[in-house]
Amino acid sequence: MGIPVGMISAIYNFALTTGANRVIRGARIEHVCGDPTLSPEKDYAFGMHIVRTALAAITVAVPGPTLFDPMQERK
Amino acid sequence: MKSPVRVVHYVNQFFGGVGGEDKADVGVSVTPGAVGPGRVLETALGAGARIEATIVCGDNFANDRAEEFARAVATELDRLKPDVVVAGPAFGSGRYGLACAQVCRIAQDRGLAAVTAMHPENPGASAARRGITILPTGTSTTSMPAALAALAPLAQRLGRRETLGPAEVEGYLPQGRRRVYDRGRPGFQRALDMLLDKLHGRPYRSEVPYSAPERVPPAAPIADLTRARIAMVTTGGLVRKGNPDKQVSANAVRYHRHSVAELESLSPKEWEAYHAGYFNHLVNSNPNYILPLSFLRDLERQGAIGAVHEHIYALPGVSTPVAVSAGHGRSIAADLKQGGVDGALLVAT
Repeated sequence: MGIPVGMISAIYNFALTTGANRVIRGARIEHVCGDPTLSPEKDYAFGMHIVRTALAAITVAVPGPTLFDPMQERK
Repeated sequence: MKSPVRVVHYVNQFFGGVGGEDKADVGVSVTPGAVGPGRVLETALGAGARIEATIVCGDNFANDRAEEFARAVATELDRLKPDVVVAGPAFGSGRYGLACAQVCRIAQDRGLAAVTAMHPENPGASAARRGITILPTGTSTTSMPAALAALAPLAQRLGRRETLGPAEVEGYLPQGRRRVYDRGRPGFQRALDMLLDKLHGRPYRSEVPYSAPERVPPAAPIADLTRARIAMVTTGGLVRKGNPDKQVSANAVRYHRHSVAELESLSPKEWEAYHAGYFNHLVNSNPNYILPLSFLRDLERQGAIGAVHEHIYALPGVSTPVAVSAGHGRSIAADLKQGGVDGALLVAT
Protein backbone atom coordinates (compact mmCIF):
# COMPACT_ATOMS: atom_id res chain seq x y z
CA MET A 1 0.00 0.00 0.00
CA GLY A 2 1.43 3.33 -1.07
CA ILE A 3 1.26 6.62 0.82
CA PRO A 4 -0.73 9.39 -0.91
CA VAL A 5 1.42 12.46 -1.57
CA GLY A 6 0.24 15.98 -2.33
CA MET A 7 2.96 17.61 -4.40
CA ILE A 8 2.82 21.39 -4.10
CA SER A 9 4.64 23.17 -6.92
CA ALA A 10 4.47 26.47 -8.73
CA ILE A 11 5.72 24.77 -11.91
CA TYR A 12 2.89 22.28 -11.64
CA ASN A 13 3.04 21.30 -15.33
CA PHE A 14 6.43 19.69 -14.75
CA ALA A 15 5.00 17.67 -11.89
CA LEU A 16 2.01 16.55 -13.98
CA THR A 17 4.00 15.59 -17.06
CA THR A 18 6.57 13.66 -15.03
CA GLY A 19 3.86 11.59 -13.39
CA ALA A 20 3.06 13.04 -9.94
CA ASN A 21 -0.49 11.93 -9.22
CA ARG A 22 -1.76 14.66 -6.87
CA VAL A 23 -0.36 18.04 -7.85
CA ILE A 24 -1.30 21.27 -6.07
CA ARG A 25 -0.54 24.56 -7.70
CA GLY A 26 1.81 26.61 -5.50
CA ALA A 27 2.11 30.40 -5.50
CA ARG A 28 5.55 30.98 -7.00
CA ILE A 29 8.87 29.15 -7.16
CA GLU A 30 10.42 31.51 -4.58
CA HIS A 31 7.46 31.26 -2.17
CA VAL A 32 5.45 28.12 -2.89
CA CYS A 33 3.17 28.20 0.19
CA GLY A 34 2.29 31.87 0.56
CA ASP A 35 2.97 35.33 -0.84
CA PRO A 36 5.27 37.82 0.90
CA THR A 37 3.83 40.72 -1.13
CA LEU A 38 0.59 40.37 0.87
CA SER A 39 0.08 41.53 4.44
CA PRO A 40 1.27 38.95 7.02
CA GLU A 41 -2.35 37.95 7.73
CA LYS A 42 -3.27 37.54 4.08
CA ASP A 43 0.04 35.81 3.34
CA TYR A 44 -0.73 33.29 6.06
CA ALA A 45 -4.34 32.80 4.91
CA PHE A 46 -3.16 32.24 1.33
CA GLY A 47 -0.53 29.70 2.43
CA MET A 48 -3.11 27.96 4.61
CA HIS A 49 -5.49 27.77 1.65
CA ILE A 50 -2.79 26.07 -0.46
CA VAL A 51 -1.94 23.62 2.33
CA ARG A 52 -5.64 22.80 2.92
CA THR A 53 -6.07 22.17 -0.81
CA ALA A 54 -3.08 19.79 -0.67
CA LEU A 55 -4.55 17.94 2.31
CA ALA A 56 -7.93 17.68 0.53
CA ALA A 57 -6.10 16.25 -2.49
CA ILE A 58 -4.80 13.27 -0.52
CA THR A 59 -8.34 12.43 0.65
CA VAL A 60 -9.72 11.85 -2.85
CA ALA A 61 -9.04 9.10 -5.38
CA VAL A 62 -7.37 10.17 -8.63
CA PRO A 63 -7.06 8.19 -11.87
CA GLY A 64 -3.57 9.55 -12.66
CA PRO A 65 -1.77 12.91 -12.64
CA THR A 66 -4.39 15.44 -11.48
CA LEU A 67 -4.12 19.16 -10.77
CA PHE A 68 -5.69 20.77 -7.73
CA ASP A 69 -5.65 24.53 -8.17
CA PRO A 70 -6.17 26.62 -5.02
CA MET A 71 -6.27 29.83 -7.09
CA GLN A 72 -9.12 28.48 -9.21
CA GLU A 73 -11.13 27.43 -6.21
CA ARG A 74 -10.80 30.89 -4.72
CA LYS A 75 -12.48 32.70 -7.58
CA MET B 1 35.82 -18.34 -50.02
CA LYS B 2 36.12 -17.03 -46.50
CA SER B 3 36.54 -19.63 -43.82
CA PRO B 4 33.40 -20.02 -41.66
CA VAL B 5 33.12 -18.03 -38.42
CA ARG B 6 33.88 -20.28 -35.47
CA VAL B 7 31.24 -19.91 -32.75
CA VAL B 8 31.25 -21.11 -29.16
CA HIS B 9 27.79 -21.20 -27.62
CA TYR B 10 27.04 -20.89 -23.90
CA VAL B 11 23.86 -22.37 -22.41
CA ASN B 12 22.68 -23.28 -18.91
CA GLN B 13 21.96 -26.79 -17.63
CA PHE B 14 18.38 -26.69 -18.81
CA PHE B 15 19.05 -25.74 -22.44
CA GLY B 16 22.19 -27.89 -22.38
CA GLY B 17 20.00 -30.93 -21.75
CA VAL B 18 21.59 -31.73 -18.38
CA GLY B 19 18.43 -31.24 -16.35
CA GLY B 20 16.17 -28.76 -14.61
CA GLU B 21 16.45 -26.90 -11.32
CA ASP B 22 17.73 -30.05 -9.61
CA LYS B 23 20.83 -29.85 -11.83
CA ALA B 24 21.44 -26.11 -11.34
CA ASP B 25 24.57 -26.87 -9.28
CA VAL B 26 26.47 -28.73 -12.01
CA GLY B 27 29.79 -27.21 -13.03
CA VAL B 28 31.22 -26.16 -16.40
CA SER B 29 31.38 -28.78 -19.15
CA VAL B 30 32.02 -28.64 -22.90
CA THR B 31 30.23 -30.58 -25.63
CA PRO B 32 31.52 -30.55 -29.21
CA GLY B 33 29.15 -28.98 -31.73
CA ALA B 34 25.71 -27.49 -31.15
CA VAL B 35 23.31 -28.47 -28.36
CA GLY B 36 19.60 -27.67 -27.87
CA PRO B 37 18.83 -24.14 -29.10
CA GLY B 38 22.33 -24.11 -30.60
CA ARG B 39 21.08 -26.41 -33.37
CA VAL B 40 18.48 -23.86 -34.38
CA LEU B 41 21.09 -21.12 -34.05
CA GLU B 42 23.42 -23.03 -36.34
CA THR B 43 20.70 -23.27 -38.98
CA ALA B 44 20.10 -19.54 -38.67
CA LEU B 45 23.84 -18.88 -38.99
CA GLY B 46 23.88 -20.71 -42.34
CA ALA B 47 26.99 -21.80 -44.20
CA GLY B 48 29.07 -18.83 -43.09
CA ALA B 49 29.50 -20.02 -39.51
CA ARG B 50 29.49 -23.12 -37.39
CA ILE B 51 29.20 -23.87 -33.71
CA GLU B 52 32.45 -25.50 -32.67
CA ALA B 53 31.45 -26.30 -29.13
CA THR B 54 28.86 -25.62 -26.46
CA ILE B 55 29.81 -24.65 -22.93
CA VAL B 56 27.21 -25.76 -20.41
CA CYS B 57 26.96 -24.76 -16.74
CA GLY B 58 24.31 -24.88 -14.01
CA ASP B 59 22.81 -21.50 -13.12
CA ASN B 60 23.52 -21.87 -9.42
CA PHE B 61 27.12 -22.85 -10.02
CA ALA B 62 27.67 -19.91 -12.36
CA ASN B 63 26.40 -17.43 -9.75
CA ASP B 64 27.25 -18.96 -6.38
CA ARG B 65 30.75 -19.97 -7.41
CA ALA B 66 31.37 -17.07 -9.75
CA GLU B 67 35.18 -17.11 -9.55
CA GLU B 68 35.44 -20.83 -10.23
CA PHE B 69 32.94 -20.38 -13.08
CA ALA B 70 34.95 -17.51 -14.59
CA ARG B 71 38.21 -19.47 -14.42
CA ALA B 72 36.68 -22.55 -16.07
CA VAL B 73 35.01 -20.54 -18.86
CA ALA B 74 38.24 -18.61 -19.48
CA THR B 75 40.23 -21.86 -19.73
CA GLU B 76 37.79 -23.32 -22.25
CA LEU B 77 37.73 -20.15 -24.36
CA ASP B 78 41.55 -20.02 -24.39
CA ARG B 79 41.55 -23.62 -25.60
CA LEU B 80 38.76 -23.24 -28.19
CA LYS B 81 39.80 -19.79 -29.49
CA PRO B 82 36.49 -19.03 -31.25
CA ASP B 83 35.84 -15.98 -33.44
CA VAL B 84 32.72 -15.15 -31.45
CA VAL B 85 30.93 -16.30 -28.30
CA VAL B 86 27.12 -16.44 -28.24
CA ALA B 87 25.51 -16.75 -24.82
CA GLY B 88 21.87 -17.62 -24.21
CA PRO B 89 19.28 -16.37 -25.01
CA ALA B 90 18.38 -16.13 -21.33
CA PHE B 91 14.93 -14.46 -21.65
CA GLY B 92 13.63 -13.43 -18.18
CA SER B 93 15.77 -15.89 -16.20
CA GLY B 94 17.87 -13.84 -13.78
CA ARG B 95 20.64 -16.29 -12.89
CA TYR B 96 20.99 -17.41 -16.51
CA GLY B 97 21.08 -13.77 -17.66
CA LEU B 98 23.83 -12.90 -15.18
CA ALA B 99 25.81 -15.96 -16.29
CA CYS B 100 25.46 -15.00 -19.97
CA ALA B 101 26.61 -11.44 -19.25
CA GLN B 102 29.57 -12.81 -17.31
CA VAL B 103 30.52 -15.15 -20.20
CA CYS B 104 30.43 -12.16 -22.60
CA ARG B 105 32.69 -10.16 -20.30
CA ILE B 106 35.16 -13.02 -19.94
CA ALA B 107 35.26 -13.42 -23.74
CA GLN B 108 35.77 -9.70 -24.33
CA ASP B 109 38.52 -9.57 -21.71
CA ARG B 110 40.36 -12.10 -23.87
CA GLY B 111 39.85 -10.07 -27.02
CA LEU B 112 37.04 -12.30 -28.32
CA ALA B 113 33.81 -10.94 -29.79
CA ALA B 114 30.66 -11.82 -27.81
CA VAL B 115 26.92 -11.31 -27.92
CA THR B 116 23.99 -12.43 -25.78
CA ALA B 117 20.23 -11.97 -25.72
CA MET B 118 17.79 -11.56 -22.85
CA HIS B 119 14.81 -9.54 -21.66
CA PRO B 120 15.78 -5.89 -21.06
CA GLU B 121 14.74 -6.16 -17.41
CA ASN B 122 16.78 -9.29 -16.77
CA PRO B 123 19.27 -8.43 -13.97
CA GLY B 124 22.02 -9.57 -16.34
CA ALA B 125 21.03 -6.79 -18.73
CA SER B 126 20.68 -4.05 -16.15
CA ALA B 127 24.00 -4.97 -14.56
CA ALA B 128 26.07 -5.24 -17.70
CA ARG B 129 24.48 -3.54 -20.70
CA ARG B 130 27.08 -0.81 -20.84
CA GLY B 131 29.92 -3.20 -21.40
CA ILE B 132 28.50 -5.90 -23.66
CA THR B 133 26.21 -6.42 -26.64
CA ILE B 134 22.76 -7.64 -25.59
CA LEU B 135 19.83 -8.20 -27.92
CA PRO B 136 16.42 -7.76 -26.32
CA THR B 137 14.06 -10.76 -26.13
CA GLY B 138 10.71 -11.50 -24.54
CA THR B 139 10.51 -12.93 -21.03
CA SER B 140 9.87 -16.54 -22.07
CA THR B 141 11.09 -19.17 -24.54
CA THR B 142 8.16 -18.38 -26.85
CA SER B 143 10.43 -15.64 -28.25
CA MET B 144 13.22 -18.16 -28.96
CA PRO B 145 12.85 -18.23 -32.78
CA ALA B 146 12.91 -14.43 -33.02
CA ALA B 147 15.83 -14.20 -30.59
CA LEU B 148 17.95 -16.71 -32.50
CA ALA B 149 17.09 -15.11 -35.83
CA ALA B 150 18.37 -11.78 -34.47
CA LEU B 151 21.44 -13.27 -32.80
CA ALA B 152 22.71 -15.15 -35.86
CA PRO B 153 23.53 -12.24 -38.21
CA LEU B 154 25.00 -10.17 -35.37
CA ALA B 155 27.19 -13.08 -34.27
CA GLN B 156 28.39 -13.53 -37.86
CA ARG B 157 29.36 -9.90 -38.19
CA LEU B 158 31.01 -9.70 -34.77
CA GLY B 159 32.90 -12.90 -35.61
CA ARG B 160 34.29 -11.17 -38.69
CA ARG B 161 35.39 -8.26 -36.49
CA GLU B 162 32.89 -5.88 -38.05
CA THR B 163 32.11 -2.78 -35.99
CA LEU B 164 28.42 -2.55 -35.21
CA GLY B 165 26.41 0.61 -35.84
CA PRO B 166 24.52 2.42 -33.09
CA ALA B 167 22.09 0.52 -30.84
CA GLU B 168 19.01 2.14 -32.36
CA VAL B 169 20.02 0.87 -35.81
CA GLU B 170 21.36 -2.56 -34.89
CA GLY B 171 18.70 -3.35 -32.31
CA TYR B 172 20.88 -4.21 -29.33
CA LEU B 173 20.24 -2.61 -25.93
CA PRO B 174 21.66 0.94 -25.67
CA GLN B 175 25.02 0.97 -23.93
CA GLY B 176 24.86 4.60 -22.86
CA ARG B 177 27.79 5.47 -25.11
CA ARG B 178 28.06 8.39 -27.49
CA ARG B 179 30.13 7.88 -30.58
CA VAL B 180 31.18 10.77 -32.77
CA TYR B 181 30.26 10.18 -36.38
CA ASP B 182 29.32 12.12 -39.50
CA ARG B 183 25.59 12.23 -40.18
CA GLY B 184 26.29 13.58 -43.64
CA ARG B 185 24.28 16.80 -43.32
CA PRO B 186 24.74 19.69 -40.90
CA GLY B 187 22.51 20.05 -37.86
CA PHE B 188 20.52 23.04 -39.08
CA GLN B 189 19.43 21.16 -42.21
CA ARG B 190 18.40 18.12 -40.23
CA ALA B 191 16.53 20.32 -37.75
CA LEU B 192 14.68 22.16 -40.52
CA ASP B 193 13.75 18.87 -42.20
CA MET B 194 12.45 17.58 -38.91
CA LEU B 195 10.44 20.74 -38.37
CA LEU B 196 8.95 20.51 -41.89
CA ASP B 197 8.07 16.86 -41.34
CA LYS B 198 6.38 17.80 -38.09
CA LEU B 199 4.43 20.67 -39.65
CA HIS B 200 3.28 18.44 -42.49
CA GLY B 201 2.29 15.65 -40.15
CA ARG B 202 4.93 13.33 -41.60
CA PRO B 203 6.78 10.85 -39.38
CA TYR B 204 10.09 12.10 -38.03
CA ARG B 205 12.59 10.95 -35.47
CA SER B 206 14.26 13.11 -32.86
CA GLU B 207 18.01 12.72 -32.49
CA VAL B 208 17.66 13.20 -28.74
CA PRO B 209 16.41 9.99 -27.13
CA TYR B 210 13.40 10.49 -24.89
CA SER B 211 12.96 8.33 -21.84
CA ALA B 212 9.35 8.41 -20.69
CA PRO B 213 8.91 9.08 -16.97
CA GLU B 214 7.97 6.17 -14.76
CA ARG B 215 4.25 5.95 -13.98
CA VAL B 216 3.37 5.23 -10.38
CA PRO B 217 -0.17 4.03 -9.66
CA PRO B 218 -1.92 6.61 -7.43
CA ALA B 219 -1.99 5.63 -3.76
CA ALA B 220 -5.41 5.13 -2.16
CA PRO B 221 -6.75 8.31 -0.54
CA ILE B 222 -6.85 8.90 3.22
CA ALA B 223 -10.27 8.05 4.63
CA ASP B 224 -10.10 10.22 7.75
CA LEU B 225 -7.71 13.17 7.82
CA THR B 226 -8.50 13.88 11.49
CA ARG B 227 -6.75 10.62 12.43
CA ALA B 228 -4.00 10.77 9.84
CA ARG B 229 -0.28 11.22 10.48
CA ILE B 230 1.04 13.71 7.93
CA ALA B 231 4.69 14.09 6.96
CA MET B 232 6.46 16.88 5.07
CA VAL B 233 9.15 16.61 2.42
CA THR B 234 10.78 19.46 0.52
CA THR B 235 13.03 19.68 -2.50
CA GLY B 236 13.49 23.40 -1.83
CA GLY B 237 16.95 22.98 -0.32
CA LEU B 238 15.95 23.51 3.31
CA VAL B 239 18.96 23.32 5.64
CA ARG B 240 19.64 24.24 9.25
CA LYS B 241 20.98 27.78 9.45
CA GLY B 242 24.62 27.92 8.37
CA ASN B 243 24.29 24.50 6.70
CA PRO B 244 26.13 22.54 9.43
CA ASP B 245 25.31 19.25 7.66
CA LYS B 246 27.18 20.51 4.60
CA GLN B 247 24.40 19.78 2.12
CA VAL B 248 25.16 20.71 -1.48
CA SER B 249 23.07 23.27 -3.37
CA ALA B 250 22.54 21.06 -6.44
CA ASN B 251 22.85 17.44 -7.58
CA ALA B 252 22.33 16.08 -4.07
CA VAL B 253 23.57 12.57 -3.44
CA ARG B 254 21.81 12.47 -0.06
CA TYR B 255 18.83 14.00 1.66
CA HIS B 256 18.64 15.06 5.30
CA ARG B 257 16.10 14.05 7.89
CA HIS B 258 15.46 16.46 10.74
CA SER B 259 13.23 16.24 13.80
CA VAL B 260 10.59 18.93 14.18
CA ALA B 261 8.95 17.25 17.18
CA GLU B 262 9.69 20.27 19.38
CA LEU B 263 8.98 22.97 16.81
CA GLU B 264 5.83 25.02 16.17
CA SER B 265 7.14 26.68 13.06
CA LEU B 266 10.36 26.98 11.05
CA SER B 267 12.15 30.10 12.25
CA PRO B 268 14.41 31.99 9.81
CA LYS B 269 16.86 32.18 12.72
CA GLU B 270 17.27 28.41 12.64
CA TRP B 271 16.53 27.41 9.05
CA GLU B 272 17.32 28.63 5.57
CA ALA B 273 17.37 27.51 1.95
CA TYR B 274 20.49 26.44 0.09
CA HIS B 275 19.39 25.70 -3.45
CA ALA B 276 21.13 26.66 -6.70
CA GLY B 277 17.92 26.71 -8.74
CA TYR B 278 16.03 29.77 -7.43
CA PHE B 279 16.52 32.95 -5.41
CA ASN B 280 16.49 31.84 -1.79
CA HIS B 281 16.04 35.21 -0.03
CA LEU B 282 12.25 35.01 0.41
CA VAL B 283 12.40 31.51 1.87
CA ASN B 284 15.20 32.71 4.13
CA SER B 285 12.72 35.22 5.60
CA ASN B 286 10.10 32.49 6.06
CA PRO B 287 11.22 28.85 5.58
CA ASN B 288 7.59 27.69 6.02
CA TYR B 289 7.10 28.68 2.38
CA ILE B 290 8.91 25.49 1.38
CA LEU B 291 8.07 23.33 4.39
CA PRO B 292 4.63 24.22 5.75
CA LEU B 293 5.18 23.31 9.41
CA SER B 294 3.46 26.43 10.82
CA PHE B 295 0.26 25.62 8.89
CA LEU B 296 0.21 21.94 9.79
CA ARG B 297 0.75 22.71 13.50
CA ASP B 298 -2.32 24.97 13.45
CA LEU B 299 -4.34 22.28 11.67
CA GLU B 300 -3.11 19.69 14.16
CA ARG B 301 -4.24 21.93 17.04
CA GLN B 302 -7.63 22.42 15.40
CA GLY B 303 -8.00 18.66 15.00
CA ALA B 304 -8.16 18.90 11.20
CA ILE B 305 -5.29 16.41 10.94
CA GLY B 306 -4.33 13.67 13.36
CA ALA B 307 -0.64 14.40 13.86
CA VAL B 308 2.37 16.05 12.27
CA HIS B 309 5.06 13.42 11.70
CA GLU B 310 8.13 14.16 13.79
CA HIS B 311 10.61 13.96 10.93
CA ILE B 312 10.95 16.16 7.88
CA TYR B 313 12.98 15.34 4.78
CA ALA B 314 14.92 17.91 2.79
CA LEU B 315 17.19 18.16 -0.21
CA PRO B 316 17.77 20.57 -3.10
CA GLY B 317 15.84 19.16 -6.06
CA VAL B 318 17.98 20.52 -8.87
CA SER B 319 20.35 18.96 -11.43
CA THR B 320 19.84 15.51 -9.92
CA PRO B 321 19.72 12.60 -12.38
CA VAL B 322 16.35 10.86 -12.43
CA ALA B 323 17.80 7.55 -11.27
CA VAL B 324 19.37 9.22 -8.20
CA SER B 325 16.13 11.10 -7.46
CA ALA B 326 14.15 7.87 -7.69
CA GLY B 327 16.53 6.34 -5.15
CA HIS B 328 16.01 9.28 -2.75
CA GLY B 329 12.24 8.92 -3.22
CA ARG B 330 12.23 5.21 -2.53
CA SER B 331 14.37 5.67 0.57
CA ILE B 332 12.18 8.48 1.96
CA ALA B 333 8.98 6.54 1.19
CA ALA B 334 10.31 3.46 3.01
CA ASP B 335 11.17 5.62 6.03
CA LEU B 336 7.72 7.22 6.02
CA LYS B 337 6.09 3.79 5.81
CA GLN B 338 8.13 2.58 8.75
CA GLY B 339 7.18 5.70 10.70
CA GLY B 340 3.46 4.93 10.30
CA VAL B 341 2.81 7.96 8.08
CA ASP B 342 -0.59 8.06 6.33
CA GLY B 343 0.01 10.90 3.89
CA ALA B 344 2.68 13.37 2.87
CA LEU B 345 3.02 16.88 1.47
CA LEU B 346 5.93 17.38 -0.89
CA VAL B 347 6.86 20.97 -1.62
CA ALA B 348 8.88 21.38 -4.82
CA THR B 349 10.39 24.71 -5.81
